[in-house]
Parts: sequence; C-alpha cells; structure tokens
Amino acid sequence: MSQFTTVQTSPHKPSVGSADSGGLAVNKRLRKELMTLMTSPTSGISAFPESENNLFKWLGTLTGPEGTVYAGLTFRLSLSFPSEYPYKPPVIRFETPCYHPNVALKTGDICLDILQDKWSAVYSVHTILVSLQSLLGDPNNSSPLNVEASQSWADQTAFKERVLTNYRPL
Amino acid sequence: MDLNHPLLASAVDLLPPFPSSHPQIQRLDRSLYCQICKELFSGPVSIPCGHSFCSRCIRGSLEVMKKCPSCNEPASEGSIRRNRALEEIVDSWEEARPIIHGLTSNNSRKRSIMNTGPKNAFAAESTKRPRKESTSRSVSPVKQSSDKKEEIDGDADDMIALDPYTNMAESSEDVKASCPLCDITMPIRDISRHIDLGCQPIKPRPKSQGRENLKADWKKVFSGAGLVKGKDVELKKITKPNYSLATPAELRSVLQSYNLSTFGDKPALAHRVQEWILLYNSNLDTSHPKSLGALRAKLNEAEASRRRDKEKGREEMASELKTSDGLARYAQDTKGEFERLRREIMERDKKRVGSGAEAPIEIE
Ligand SMILES: [Zn+2]
Ligand SMILES: [Zn+2]
Ligand SMILES: [Zn+2]
Repeated sequence: MSQFTTVQTSPHKPSVGSADSGGLAVNKRLRKELMTLMTSPTSGISAFPESENNLFKWLGTLTGPEGTVYAGLTFRLSLSFPSEYPYKPPVIRFETPCYHPNVALKTGDICLDILQDKWSAVYSVHTILVSLQSLLGDPNNSSPLNVEASQSWADQTAFKERVLTNYRPL
Repeated sequence: MDLNHPLLASAVDLLPPFPSSHPQIQRLDRSLYCQICKELFSGPVSIPCGHSFCSRCIRGSLEVMKKCPSCNEPASEGSIRRNRALEEIVDSWEEARPIIHGLTSNNSRKRSIMNTGPKNAFAAESTKRPRKESTSRSVSPVKQSSDKKEEIDGDADDMIALDPYTNMAESSEDVKASCPLCDITMPIRDISRHIDLGCQPIKPRPKSQGRENLKADWKKVFSGAGLVKGKDVELKKITKPNYSLATPAELRSVLQSYNLSTFGDKPALAHRVQEWILLYNSNLDTSHPKSLGALRAKLNEAEASRRRDKEKGREEMASELKTSDGLARYAQDTKGEFERLRREIMERDKKRVGSGAEAPIEIE
C-alpha cells in the first residue's frame, strides 16, 4: 500500500471514465457481449438471456461442425454466470443430450480446460461457444466424462449411431 | 424476438459499434478496448508481457490468477505500470469517437444536410477539433494535409466539401454542433458525454467548484490525512492472502477508517475491503482520479446492484432504463438494424438446420 503516500498524481479533471465495478460491471459486460453477438453473429452459434429479468442465465445453441459426426445437429446449452464474471468462468451445460467423450450424457456437464483451470477474464461467451464447437469434432480423449464414448470414438460409424440415438431435436 | 426488449434497449450505455463498411475504423476502435471489460480503456496500465488493461480490470484478474489473462505470462500487482500514452490516446478517442461515428454511420443523412447549407457545423468542426495545436494550419479545400488524413479516412469527399467551414469558430471551447443521434445543438465538448447519457440534455459544467472539492479530497489522500498512517499499515497486513486470518473487527476498523459501511457478516466485510482496495489502487493509475466520495458511491452502487441482481433479477433496472427518453430513441434508431440482423440469422439458420428448426435467437 506504499502507493497511498508515494504516488504524486495531481488530479486535473473530474473523471469521464466508464469503468464500473462489481455487480454493475458484470451487468454491463454481459450486455456488451450480447450486443456484439447480435451485431456480428457467427454462424453455428448463438446465445441470448433466458428472460429479460435475469441477465445471469443465458440459453445458447450450437450447431455441429461440417465433416464431424455432429454435422447438422443443433444442441441447446445453458449458461449461468457467477457474480465474479468474467474473473470466474460461467457454468455451462448441454441441455440437449450430447454423446461425446467430454460431456456427461445425463447431466450435460462439460470437461473443457478453458471452462475450468484455464479460464481467463479475456474469454467471452463467443470464445466459449467457438471452443465448444471445435471440441465436438476434436475431443480430448485423455480426460473423458463419458468413458464409453471415448472408447468408441475410434469407430466413427458406430459412434455416429450412438450420437443419433441419444440426440433429441430442439 | 421483441425488439423493444429491455436488454437490447438498455444497450444505450454501450458505445455503438462502427459499421462494417469502415473496417479500418473498426480496427482502431477495437484496439482501444480492454480485453477484460470489453470497453474503452479506463486508467490503462501495462504488465511485463506488454499487454494493457484497465487498472481495475487487471487488478481484479490478478486477485484470481497471477498471470496475464491474454498470454499467460507471469504478472503481479507490483509489476503494474501506468500507460500514460495509451490513456491520452483513449481520452482523445473518446472525444472524437461520436463525431467519427456520426460521419461513418450517417453518411446519407449528412450528405443531404450538406447540400442544404452550412447548418451541419458538427461535421465541419470535427475536422478541426481533434488536434489542439492545429489552429494555424493552412486551409486548402483540395489538398488534405497528410496528418489530417489519418484521423478520418475514407470520408475524404466529405472532409473536402466541408472544409471551408472549419474557420467558422476560433476557440473550440465555444464551438457548437449538433448531436449525430438527436440533432440537438450543444457545445462540441459536451457531445460525447451527452451521447453516453443516452442523449440527455447536458447541464453546463460548473467551472471550478467541483474541482476544488476534488483537489481538497486528494490533498488529504496524498498527505495521508484521510488515511491515518497506522491504519494504512494495518490494511496492508490484511490484504489478499490473509482475508481468512482477519477478524471481523479488524475488517470493520479498516472500513471505518475510510468511512465505509461496516454492516454485514465476515464474507461481506472482507469482500467490501477487497473491492475498496481495488477501486482505491486503480484510481491512482489514472489522470482522472475520482474523489473518495465518488469511490464510496461507486462501491455502494456496485453492492446495491449485486443485491438487486441476486434478489429480484434485473426487472427494476430494466424498467427504469426503459422510461428514459434517450433510450426509447436509441431503441427506435437501432430497431431497423437489429430487425435486419435477426432476419439474416433466421434465414441462415433455416437454410442450415432445415425448416422445422426454431430461430436460434429467441427469448422464451
Ligand atoms: Zn477494462
Ligand atoms: Zn500478456
Ligand atoms: Zn513518462
């Protein structure tokens, strides 16, 4: 706290800055992300707050990338933001059953490093959804949440059948 | 999707993005955004890897992990340095942005105004305003000096056409212009604040009184009068790693020494102290520090907002925002744009997913 006494700044004008803190900042950042998603949409991903009364719960959709067993399938996701966002990551689940090595089939829990220990405050809903999209076609088979899926990944034809059996359209 | 949706309408306190027809300006604008809060830098600082963030933002991030959120290189609070050049750039950009935004997004309307006469002092003055020391530059309507070109690229025609008006006013202090959004005329230096506030009328700034108070407040801080030296040491003792060791009484005494609320249980107290230190320290990294009173208000506001979000969701805030004049106008202005985007997204998704699928963006 030596700064308190050693910094010799002379204030010359009242602040016009726009940074908020705490709850206000989370709110603003989420609305900012929403606006960016709306004004520069990316194909195959979308997200929007569940209701207008709660900015901290969003629903998203994710379309499986071409050339993967998930191609053409659209998955619903739920996103739940902590009050410490973006310093802490949102909790994200598949609401549509997703047969995938890194997704728990029953709960929809996801194992993805950037949603856990590799999270950084510069990530956004957009980066998360893009990462999830690439996770679909490129699973991390060394840390499976669905062991059966990780074992059957090698046989893509059989795997696709299981994906389709478990899938429920939106 | 309801386009009067409060979540969209309330986007008015966010800076409007530049149209994709001006990628260079989009890029310039984006480069002045902090990657953590996604807003223009406020009190920008750099860390050893060379990345810059708002002081408040990186301090918050370093509480959670001791590395750069962009590149993962190690970083600590002690390595934070003010980035004065960046701050100056952002300050200038904040002033210039609404002007340039008006020029890029409103071309058709502007042209028609141009043709009807010199009413559009706004666009005219914008060529003059950004550079403080350019009062004596030669005004040649044909040749744009190269240093002007970098400011507003891609709109050279307009600049040339409007150039003769740049001599109209000598002192930029008195220059009036019309807001690109609502057309109300006001001193040009008030425009960005006016737009930030959702096109509310701006009261003339008090010349010196507020500033005097600020000065007094900060004199106190720097002389240590507002702090009490002993308390300062105590505060240092119980910072970050030791919140778990501090007793509620210790936390309360810290809060008391800064005239902050001592209400709540231990986690609430610790959170308040932590938040206060963040605000306080980052406030020292800017050329526009807020008064202690303003910092306190900010802390209270943030706490109240968090409570609101928890208890009642955003209902209150949303309806509050909806009533404001400027918001309604903004919603009106952007309605067409959002509607177009929505259709585009729906069309695209229909094609991809097939006709049975629902729209990707929906509310219920
Ligand atoms: Zn920031
Ligand atoms: Zn870095
Ligand atoms: Zn220097």
